[in-house]
Amino acid sequence: MKRFEEVDRALCPVDPDTGEVLEPRAQPGYYAGFSTLAQRAFWDEATRKVVDKRVKDAPQRRYLSEQAWEFWSTVFAHLIPQTDRTPERQINLVAGLDHRLEVNETIGYRYEDMPHDRVVYAWGIDAINAEAKHRYGGEFMVLPYRQQDVVLKALHDGRPEAASDIWKKMSVHRFWQMIMGDAIEAYYAHPWAWDEIGFGGPAYPRAYTRLERGEPEPWEVEEQRYAWAAPSASVSDEVRSVSGHHTEAGQHSLLDKGGVR
Amino acid sequence: MKEPLLGAFEEHNKRKHMVGPLQQIHAPMRRFRDYEEVDYVIVGVGSAGGVLVQRLARAGFNVVGIEAGPFWDTEHDWVSDEVGSHDLYWTEPRVTGGSDPLALGANNCGKGVGGGSVHWAAFTPRLHPSDFEVYTRDGVGADWPIDYADIMPYYEQLELEMPVAGPAYYPWGHPHGYAYGPHPMGGVGNALIKGCTALDIPVSIGGPVAILSGSHGDRPHCIYRGFCIQGCKVGAKASTLVTHVPDAVKTGAEIRDRSMVSRIEVGKNGRVTGVHYFDIEGNAHFQKAKAVIVSGYAIETPRLLMHSACAGHEHGLANSSGTLGRYLMAQAGNVVMGRFDQPVRMYKAPPAHALTEQFYETNAKNDFARGFAIQTVGPLPVAFGKQMIAAKKAWGWGLRREMMDYNHWATFGLLGEILPWNDNRVTLSDDKDRFGLRVAHVSFNLHENDKNLIKAAKKKTEDVMWAAGAEQVVQEARYAHLVGGCRMGKDARTSVVDKFGRTHDVANLFVCDGSVFPTQGSANPGLTIQALAARTADYLIEQGAAIFNSNKRDMATPRLRRELAPPATWGKGVPRLK
Repeated sequence: MKRFEEVDRALCPVDPDTGEVLEPRAQPGYYAGFSTLAQRAFWDEATRKVVDKRVKDAPQRRYLSEQAWEFWSTVFAHLIPQTDRTPERQINLVAGLDHRLEVNETIGYRYEDMPHDRVVYAWGIDAINAEAKHRYGGEFMVLPYRQQDVVLKALHDGRPEAASDIWKKMSVHRFWQMIMGDAIEAYYAHPWAWDEIGFGGPAYPRAYTRLERGEPEPWEVEEQRYAWAAPSASVSDEVRSVSGHHTEAGQHSLLDKGGVR
Repeated sequence: MKEPLLGAFEEHNKRKHMVGPLQQIHAPMRRFRDYEEVDYVIVGVGSAGGVLVQRLARAGFNVVGIEAGPFWDTEHDWVSDEVGSHDLYWTEPRVTGGSDPLALGANNCGKGVGGGSVHWAAFTPRLHPSDFEVYTRDGVGADWPIDYADIMPYYEQLELEMPVAGPAYYPWGHPHGYAYGPHPMGGVGNALIKGCTALDIPVSIGGPVAILSGSHGDRPHCIYRGFCIQGCKVGAKASTLVTHVPDAVKTGAEIRDRSMVSRIEVGKNGRVTGVHYFDIEGNAHFQKAKAVIVSGYAIETPRLLMHSACAGHEHGLANSSGTLGRYLMAQAGNVVMGRFDQPVRMYKAPPAHALTEQFYETNAKNDFARGFAIQTVGPLPVAFGKQMIAAKKAWGWGLRREMMDYNHWATFGLLGEILPWNDNRVTLSDDKDRFGLRVAHVSFNLHENDKNLIKAAKKKTEDVMWAAGAEQVVQEARYAHLVGGCRMGKDARTSVVDKFGRTHDVANLFVCDGSVFPTQGSANPGLTIQALAARTADYLIEQGAAIFNSNKRDMATPRLRRELAPPATWGKGVPRLK
């Protein structure tokens, strides 16, 4: 996690009015003062154990090589950047991936145009490095942040320019879906992320009682919004609402259109 | 308040097997030996298997339910956590493909006692009378070998056994009411009501959903914590694990969990003699049985029958028609997401709590046959984040920003009827599972009627979301549920099983699960699966020993044996409105 501790201020979100860097927060998001973990005494024991393990256990590397761990940690830091978080409150994003590859756990299927998950993460390193070399003449890990972001955006857009041999055997779209899925499963499964987005978290056996009009429970808090802009060194802030398609395959081909050369 | 008044909640009854906080599995459970010839082996103790094992045990048969996954202790095994619930789903390897590949696993496949009913959202609409004669009416799809009148008593019965909460007046299909009161609205249901009302679309509020709106025996009522599809620790949501399996064990059934059936054995007389299975350690066993019922759902049921190919059944057991594994169906399940200025907090309340079936039936003005429903859904953060990848192409800072607005979104799911097509099918892949068995390959392709229907359904669902007051509307295309693959029919040349689930080819081999559906409507399949299971059970009980020693096929309709329901789970009846 070395990279995270040397947070470069140029990589932190800014105040959109003044352009000044926003100080990293222990808890970004619009629910200052809200803590799901503060409610853990109200959770059932089994849930408490699972969530505690996630928060307290030190990340362990078992499957990935040291280099692969570093590589995917760097990639995932672009997929879900955390430079608005103070270093001690950043969430490890690859420990869960390492574990699932170690025990060969999958989501229960693979697409026929995809290899097995362990192969996906091996080929993924080669493909991303090839894209980095093609665009900027260096391996992904040595590139500056913005160039790394651009390399990944090419995959997000379904328009890689290199590694056509790999992308012939592995769908760009499904690859992106998998690495984003793994990053999301790590980040948004963490109670610190629940606090950030105002998700109430576990509520058995206590219950939720205020169901209507988005009102908070007595132990939740009202939203307190603030403005922020993504760091200028990043290209990942743009979203694109696509609604022209109506089937899952359409969603797919739209992304891959003009993709593999 | 920092602590509960009596201290933090500790897991109680650690040495007892709990399903829900109050209900306990009867111990000791009866155990049969492999060499004992039991009356029935049921392969898969899910929505159908759970009902079958209960009915047959209560009727006095020796019955073993063999289940690939665990026999859950919900207090110990289940958590209020998305990622921590991974084991509820069928995560053994499979391959998915075709022009429109289906997501499997958590999307539609359960593993463990209760099966899919453990992780369903528990919407329980009935099929409409029209669903049973789609081919006759519209010239597409297929007719069922039964009609609505055949299944209606079982709908009414299972709605009481689960039981189902819903409105007193439900206007679609065959109008009826629900005996248990509707649930209060969450933010998503309110949005659906508002949107539908603005467009003059009738909407069903607070159900029909198999979640308790009031306490019921040893099952507490819903506490609106929103983790329905992660397994209901409360025991308020119906699963056969809490509704039927406890009574099955009490009345002498054996649930043999963590056991994967690999092949059904056929004897010299052409009748099945039992099943081969692997236990959790990988040891092979053979359980003798007088009859076998396969309840493995739309993928594993065809896969098992294919693995059971033998002399006389070279293309798979009970596949003389060549339709085994074919006519597989999923429903269109596009999720339409609307962002509202005011907070919604969609994680509260069950995801399933309001719907409309106003567009369910064929309409001559459309460029497609059949129709769709619009329902509430309520993804929790991990699921919502993945939807944002598809719906807004969000990643990096864009994803962080969208997710910070999680509480401002409401989501509707359309549920659209996709027709049964010959080329949508389960076959065997060359990939192998941990036992060395070839895994299922699922091929799925949309046809023109399906695409036109989805397009129109998506547009209508978006219209409702805008009308609800959303300031932004996006969508993720996806699919929901699985049925077909072993369809029932009158003609042995074009179907796998008859109207009672008996395979056309083997007199003591039955299939009972979602795979027998010839068509699917735009109703969630869980209620129909359980209703068919209760009907098959009544047939088997009526036939008695004839199933075990005769190849004669009696097609007479059995009587409804209400007295075999789990005690205290049925009342005087469901309100029938006409």
